[in-house]
Amino acid sequence: MELDLLETEAQSGPKDGSNTQGVYIYRASKAHGERPAKRRKIRPNEKTVEDNAQLFVPLLNGDEAEASVDLRHSVYQQLWSAQEAKIQEILDDVDSSVLENVSSFVKSTSPQTYDGCIPTALITVGSNVSSLGRLLSRLNEQLTTTGEGGVVALESGDAPNLKTTLKNIIRAAITNTEGNDGYQSFLTDRDGPRLLGYDLDLLGEYVKRKNVKRLVIAFRDSEAFDPSILTDLLSLLSSWLDRIPFTLLFGISTSIELFESRLPRSVVALLRGRYFEIHEASNCVDRIYERLQAELDTRFWLGRNITTVLFEKSNDLFQTPEAFSRTVKYAYMSHFFTNPLAIFLADKEPHNSPPGKLCETIRNVPSFRRHCEQLRDEGSSEKVRSLLEDDQYLVQECMQHLQYGQQRMRNIFQVVKAIHKYLRDLSITKRTSISDLSIRALSGELQNSPYMDDTLKAFKALDSVKLQETLATLPSFMTEHPECQELQQSLDALVLAYPNEGPLRSEHDGHNSTVSTTVVQQRVRLNKGKTKLSKQDTEYTQIVDRFCALSEACFAEALIRPQDLFLHEVFLLDMKNPLKEVFSPRPRFAIERALSSPFDYLVSNSETAGTKISAKQPPTAILYQLYLESGSLVNIYDLWQAFYAVYESEQDTDCDERVVMTLFYRALSELKVLGVVKNSRKKVDHVAKSAWMGL
Amino acid sequence: MLPLDISNSLSQQWPCRELQTRQLTNLLGPQTPSPATIVVHGISATCKSTIVRAVLSALNLPHGIVRSPECITGRHLLTKILWATLEALGKQHEWERFGKGRCEHVSSLAVLLAECLGVTAGEEPVEKFVLVLDGIDKQREAPQTLLAALTRLGEVIPCLTVVLILSATPRPLFLHAAGVPHVNFPPYTRKEAIAVVLRGGPLAIHGLSEDVTAKIYPPFVSAVYDSLVGPTASSIPTYRSICEKLWPQFVAPLVQGEKPPGGSEEWDFSRLLVKNRALFRHHGEASLVHRIVTEEQPTPLVNGTFSKPSLAAVSAPSPLPSLPYFATLILTSAYLASHIPQRLDTIFFSKFSSSSLSARNKRAHHRRRLKVLSQAQAEDSRAASQGPGTPGKRGKRTKTRITKSTLESAFATSSATTSAGNGGAGITGPSTILTARPFPLERLIAIYHAIDPNPPANPVRQLAAGDAIYAELATLRRLRLVVPAAGRDSGGRMGLGSGGLSSGNTTSDAGERWSVNVSGDWIGEVAKGIGVEVGEWLAGGLD
Repeated sequence: MELDLLETEAQSGPKDGSNTQGVYIYRASKAHGERPAKRRKIRPNEKTVEDNAQLFVPLLNGDEAEASVDLRHSVYQQLWSAQEAKIQEILDDVDSSVLENVSSFVKSTSPQTYDGCIPTALITVGSNVSSLGRLLSRLNEQLTTTGEGGVVALESGDAPNLKTTLKNIIRAAITNTEGNDGYQSFLTDRDGPRLLGYDLDLLGEYVKRKNVKRLVIAFRDSEAFDPSILTDLLSLLSSWLDRIPFTLLFGISTSIELFESRLPRSVVALLRGRYFEIHEASNCVDRIYERLQAELDTRFWLGRNITTVLFEKSNDLFQTPEAFSRTVKYAYMSHFFTNPLAIFLADKEPHNSPPGKLCETIRNVPSFRRHCEQLRDEGSSEKVRSLLEDDQYLVQECMQHLQYGQQRMRNIFQVVKAIHKYLRDLSITKRTSISDLSIRALSGELQNSPYMDDTLKAFKALDSVKLQETLATLPSFMTEHPECQELQQSLDALVLAYPNEGPLRSEHDGHNSTVSTTVVQQRVRLNKGKTKLSKQDTEYTQIVDRFCALSEACFAEALIRPQDLFLHEVFLLDMKNPLKEVFSPRPRFAIERALSSPFDYLVSNSETAGTKISAKQPPTAILYQLYLESGSLVNIYDLWQAFYAVYESEQDTDCDERVVMTLFYRALSELKVLGVVKNSRKKVDHVAKSAWMGL
Repeated sequence: MLPLDISNSLSQQWPCRELQTRQLTNLLGPQTPSPATIVVHGISATCKSTIVRAVLSALNLPHGIVRSPECITGRHLLTKILWATLEALGKQHEWERFGKGRCEHVSSLAVLLAECLGVTAGEEPVEKFVLVLDGIDKQREAPQTLLAALTRLGEVIPCLTVVLILSATPRPLFLHAAGVPHVNFPPYTRKEAIAVVLRGGPLAIHGLSEDVTAKIYPPFVSAVYDSLVGPTASSIPTYRSICEKLWPQFVAPLVQGEKPPGGSEEWDFSRLLVKNRALFRHHGEASLVHRIVTEEQPTPLVNGTFSKPSLAAVSAPSPLPSLPYFATLILTSAYLASHIPQRLDTIFFSKFSSSSLSARNKRAHHRRRLKVLSQAQAEDSRAASQGPGTPGKRGKRTKTRITKSTLESAFATSSATTSAGNGGAGITGPSTILTARPFPLERLIAIYHAIDPNPPANPVRQLAAGDAIYAELATLRRLRLVVPAAGRDSGGRMGLGSGGLSSGNTTSDAGERWSVNVSGDWIGEVAKGIGVEVGEWLAGGLD
């Protein structure tokens, strides 16, 4: 039923763009009661392969050249696959220390070390739920390659009751090493009768035959398991402990105390073990973001609005790093899908003679206009003229400015990274995340932020050793600055000249100022005085001052607003909306809106749209609006009267009361299905409101 | 071998069980015909299964043992019984002859067992076969008639004796058969327990002479019993493990050659006991609360020095969960919705009244009044629970006090003391008003908007908060922090039966009620982390 509907849509999609339309009326293709066609396995035909090539739709009113559509697609794939590889690298790396601890725990413990209790590892994962899955699969890899055993990961859905849980455990344990066929043959090829699927004898035999030393059973979301099933299961496992070497792993999202308190004491007494902690998701997400944005080979950036949305979601909601990267992927995708200018991000020169449409597009971009105005103000109106008239020249200019703009973006993120590092290393503020700094930098506010002031202040107090370290780690565009090299040389010379004095200190350093207290009229006064500086310190102070001035200037130069760059539309995506709408759907809001003002969604003829309640609206919408006007208990008769009045006033003479009554009943039952009203127990002839608009 | 010899030899190994051993030996012995059924009962860790096994192997009788808690269903149990019998008789290669190794019902079991034991077939019948069903009272999914049916097995098949081992005390005539011999394994008395542990002998410790050990160990063992084992009704294995664990620590001062206090030359038991008071206290606390993550075992005598159990060595897990901001806020609102009477919502949450001075005064007044009432009620019930001497007064007062305000105050006190830790001694009122009350989802969302510490600057654009809440609420439900109100009691049985993860609430009834499932002080702490003071909203919470 749904299938052929989808097919018709897909076929008509590219032509009239109906797959982008927001609202359509769903027509079931077959009547109710008819049996759906039997599903058959159909081999996927080659058509899908062809479709892949044309995933992207030609833009510019459909006039975009096919080559550039393909180019957009390929550029996207190339760019994203590089980024995805980086993300995967981080995900693999992030919990490796925890994995090491857990695997050493698994390998070193046995029931004997815990005098008869089941060895248990409790892993708190917090909101970082997906990390446990990665950890388990890697642990499983380790154990299976060494032939020591394996990991059986259980979800709460695998455990509806004890029998099924055991079946799942046994099957997963055996298929883990033997494969599905191995499991089947294991069931049948044995002397003696065929055992029941939930008989742990099967597992015991498997353990004996394979000489398994560690069988890890992992409960991935242990809170979601039914406590009574868990209790049964644990006591059962512990009674088999002498034949099957179980180790348990619990992933805990709340707290260990809570987890223990939900199990009966007798079961808790069967378990003994250790506790491990997996780091929060935000840590991982920050690292991913840094890799995506601040690498030196980045060519495409996410802007401030998107960054805000991304981090809002990952901080406030339960979100895994994988979900984060999917959101980023969507952002990348939507940029290349919708922006015809994205072909400029390709490595090679896009076209020798770009179609006029594309140049037209460039000329319509806001940043082009700003650029032209700027050129005109500088007095080079010739350039503006040729930009407007000469396509070749325009493309050349564009390529140049694109390079330049991308370099500027890289500089911005280098500064962000550097400041993040200084804030951390010089222990100025305790916790700053790269996301905070990036958001400020992307909106051009980092220059005047307290972070910057703090950093510069800290620079002033540096002693010579630390200054040398700092100079070594400056962003590359700064070290290339001639003044910086000069500074480095003079610092080296100074340090060489006074090798035995320890670190040199500037006058801004705390060591070089004294605080004296004097009592004046029974009040203590603090006077700050400068101690006398030695000669080398005075020289050093000069260097520090120069360094501060230099870095301030450099930072200020680097930290521009990205939106001021010419052609920032190409390499910077900064639209909040598709992302936010797609990843946080608002069904309730949509339903309320559709009911309270139906003509937002339905096509109407002109004059009725503005008026409030009218008989032209669907009956359910009319009733809903009447319902909104009433209190928490609604008398049905009053409601009916009001409803009837709406129809009566519009169709003054020929208004069949029975028809309207039918409509009324239907509307009321629809509201009931929507969960908006329910029967009231207090008064028989009333309905109770059970949903309030705008919550 | 004579029964007496057997019991003597067994009591060498398992002391203090002579009586039971003799009874079993006599009942099962080869000279006399055995009864069809024998019931062995006693609480856990009283050596039931071990003695039965030992007696059977000493008598050299063919027997099969089935551990009933390992059988998942009744059918599983029957199959296992059949298989155990075949194995015991050495006929497991002929399994296809006996129902193809499958057994679905007790009646077919009787037939199959009779065939196995050679009663019906032409073979030579087995003289005597004992079937031991260990822990049969803990059998899962057992049909009602299972026990009675198993009892009949022995009557149907003359050479079969069924031994039922129970850990619960049997009700009279629970087998629906009279004259079944019962063997009781009572828990070990103090004397017996000490004797059992002493027989094991102390751990040999380097640097401790044997005569000193012989002098100190017996009083040490009885001291451990009196202080740690007796009061907590622990079993012999725990007793033994405690002794083994504490003994090296107990004699550590002696081994390391510390000077005894009080100017005397010799360490004796009482001096060691005084020296090690802390050890006993510490261990006593630990034995009452079992945790999965225990302190690391102190490694005794590393390089001759004794390492004290250090508390710092345990990386204590944080007691609070790390929930994201939004989820925490929802959990807090759920808690408030559960614990504030709906009647007071306007006073506590209304945006219109929150700013005006009079409303604030009103709220404070309410809070105070509820507080006073709740204290009065708490004192009342405390007096009632402590002083049973004044029944007349008590009855009268509790009767007059059940009013609306009392209920409210009960809410107030409950909010402060729902936590398990400080289980309010004074609160003995009806439990229904102390538990969290279910609330509809709409109320949760409304309260969420009221307590949001960072309300959106432009409320019109933030209309979708309700939609975002549903997704987070699903996660909270999965963590069982907020549960559907009906699901809390019965959800254990049926809740996950159908759909696992997304179970419950699939029939999206707007009238569906929810309830919070964690204690109050816990939520208070979590909420403080995101800048919401729960007490500010709660009746009787703040002052």
